[in-house]
Amino acid sequence: MLSKNKTGWLLLSPTILILVLAGLVPFFYVLYVGFFQWNPLAVDPSLQFDGFASNYRRLIFDEIFLESIWRSIKFSVVTLSIELTLGFLLALSLLSSFPLKSFFRSVHTLPLVIAPIVVGSIFKLFTVQGLGPLPHILKDYFGYTLNYGLNAEQAFWMIVIMDVWHWTPFVTLTLLAGLSALPQDPYESAKIDGANNFQIFTYITIPMMVPVLIVVIFIRLMDSLKIVDEVWMLTGGGPGYATRFTGIHIWKEVFEKRYYGLGSAMSILYLYITIVICWVLYSVMVARGKNED
Amino acid sequence: MKKLLFALVASIFSFSAMAGGHADWFKEAGAPYKGTVLQGVAENTPPGQFAGEVLAKEFEKLTGIKVQLENTSWDQMYDKAIKDMEANSGIYDFVYIEQDIVYDYLNRDFLVNITEGLASNPNLQAPGVSLDDFTTFIDYFKDDTGDVFGVPMEAFIKVYLYRKDLFERADAKAAFRAQYGYGLSPATSFDQYRDNAEFFTHFCAEQGMECWGTTVQGHTGHPASTYEFLESIAPSFGLYNWGVNMDTYQSCVENGGQLNGGRAKAALNFWTQLLPFAPPEALQSTWSEVGSSFAAGRAAQGWVYGENAAWIATDAEKSAVVGNVGVMLPPTAPGVMTQAAAGNGYIGYYDGGAYGIPHSSKNKEATMLWLQFVAMNEHQADWAIAGGRITHKDTYADPKVMAVDEQADGYFTLMRDTGFLYAGAPPFPFHGAGRGAIDPFIYSALAGEMTPEEALDGACQALDTVMADLGYQN
Repeated sequence: MLSKNKTGWLLLSPTILILVLAGLVPFFYVLYVGFFQWNPLAVDPSLQFDGFASNYRRLIFDEIFLESIWRSIKFSVVTLSIELTLGFLLALSLLSSFPLKSFFRSVHTLPLVIAPIVVGSIFKLFTVQGLGPLPHILKDYFGYTLNYGLNAEQAFWMIVIMDVWHWTPFVTLTLLAGLSALPQDPYESAKIDGANNFQIFTYITIPMMVPVLIVVIFIRLMDSLKIVDEVWMLTGGGPGYATRFTGIHIWKEVFEKRYYGLGSAMSILYLYITIVICWVLYSVMVARGKNED
Repeated sequence: MKKLLFALVASIFSFSAMAGGHADWFKEAGAPYKGTVLQGVAENTPPGQFAGEVLAKEFEKLTGIKVQLENTSWDQMYDKAIKDMEANSGIYDFVYIEQDIVYDYLNRDFLVNITEGLASNPNLQAPGVSLDDFTTFIDYFKDDTGDVFGVPMEAFIKVYLYRKDLFERADAKAAFRAQYGYGLSPATSFDQYRDNAEFFTHFCAEQGMECWGTTVQGHTGHPASTYEFLESIAPSFGLYNWGVNMDTYQSCVENGGQLNGGRAKAALNFWTQLLPFAPPEALQSTWSEVGSSFAAGRAAQGWVYGENAAWIATDAEKSAVVGNVGVMLPPTAPGVMTQAAAGNGYIGYYDGGAYGIPHSSKNKEATMLWLQFVAMNEHQADWAIAGGRITHKDTYADPKVMAVDEQADGYFTLMRDTGFLYAGAPPFPFHGAGRGAIDPFIYSALAGEMTPEEALDGACQALDTVMADLGYQN
């Protein structure tokens, strides 16, 4: 038994080592730095201990940071809702047969393989005022002025559209895989019992899809909460603070202003908030699932 | 591309001429380092491309030392260089030091003292290469004792560009006089600048031309807009050093600074009021997009970085306005020119950068050779033609450069004769943090979310907080 365990640990050791080096060590380092005032541009560039909670206390009253968190949550809720709805509809439609289905599925999946920074570039080239085709089309045919360098609402929604374009295929594919694997017996029973399509969808498909939905929601939620690259490329966080999501805010504080201590505290606090959101959501979904059982 | 090819051919001749002179020395001095690969990171500018595609290859031919220069975006360049130097990882053997970041790098002791390095190792000192050959721009890369920490590879001034073809149109002149009551000409005052901008916006629309009255480097999410305001617009209104009181490191008027003072507010008001007369892409434009917009013929006038001025005026492959570009000093408020001439102020930004060696470099000696190769007089003229930059005193008098100068409406001459009116960034070691504090307020003023007055009141408070935080205020 002991030798069996030893072999197991031996086989696991490379993975554990990598996890420790690439995950735990940086995490504890960031946690440690978060307790210090540290900016290498300061008169005294060394780490200054200023009480355990000084950075965290400062963040609680930092309106810009708190607003960036609220903005990120709002963004995540909006994109997640749209992506789930669209993804589910597309997955359901891909279950049935229609002409050029394979072609549509391939084209639909293409955005997934594009790097976020490239997605940002594509959208920028497509939508930049004066040069991109979209503002011209909107202006010429609909009389609508698209200028997200000026209009904060447009900037926010442009990023929502970009994220939906980029990630809905992921939701579609995952849900499609889940839908394809569902057992057929409950459907046949429901049809014999006289259930209509809506009832079948509400009382059979959705409950059976809950485990898949939980996975999709968590992956997309965590991803959207830490969005940086596309936004960086498209708006740089502007105009003003309009698209300064927490990831961008932390980047600017750490790499532009060099507030390493404060930036580390921001990262830890944001990680904590992300975990709490996920945990609450998970608890609610699991509890609802149990109640429905 | 053609220009680069021409430069390549021209430089082959230059290097052939050099062959009899210093080539043997470089061959000999480089022999111990043959096979070494030097890694560098720099901003992707025309001079950077010349260094990577022409000079690096010639250097490798002579010495067997390969130079891999990563020319990338401004943000990436900083990100990569600073992370490498902070972590002491030694990925890069040389980095681009933009003039405004040099105080930060020196403060943090990132860079090798080149003067000292060469003095302590005479075998590495190339004959015919002297740091005295550089223009005064090299002074920005010296410490208090006069030792050099960076070898300048590009230097420009930010000038006023205007479209000669538009300004010289008879119908435009007549219409302008009828509307404003005085003659149409390139701007020498802010009122005239604004009138020109307003006029050409309407004139172009009436003529069915895709052009506007002025460029504005007004990206609402990129520091380029803050730089345009702090380094070009504000100084021309007489606001220097970001409005920071250099004795107390305070920027708000109530504390002895000037960032929210009358001149600053007049400057920001002037600048933001130009937006209706700028191409629609203005609020998403950094320095690169401003250069491209002007080159595409989308603006009648504007403040344009010198690194773009030369190619806009001369490169027909990339620019639609070749032969029609006028170059002048930008307009200034009364008294500013006199202050600048007396050394008590400046009218705009003396831009540029140098290559320096991080302490973390693993190939310092081979890099010293490369930097001296870059500094040689022999290829400065071709580099100036390819990249619109001049770092050596003698380059101005080179016949090839003089020919290009004529095509570029005397840009090089203007730089030689009036360069002293310009200045680099203020010597703030906290440059990045300070600018980062101001950015959002400038973005908000440009987007119309704040009035210029509100924006500057907020900006000075944010900047003061940063300077206090970092321990600069007494």
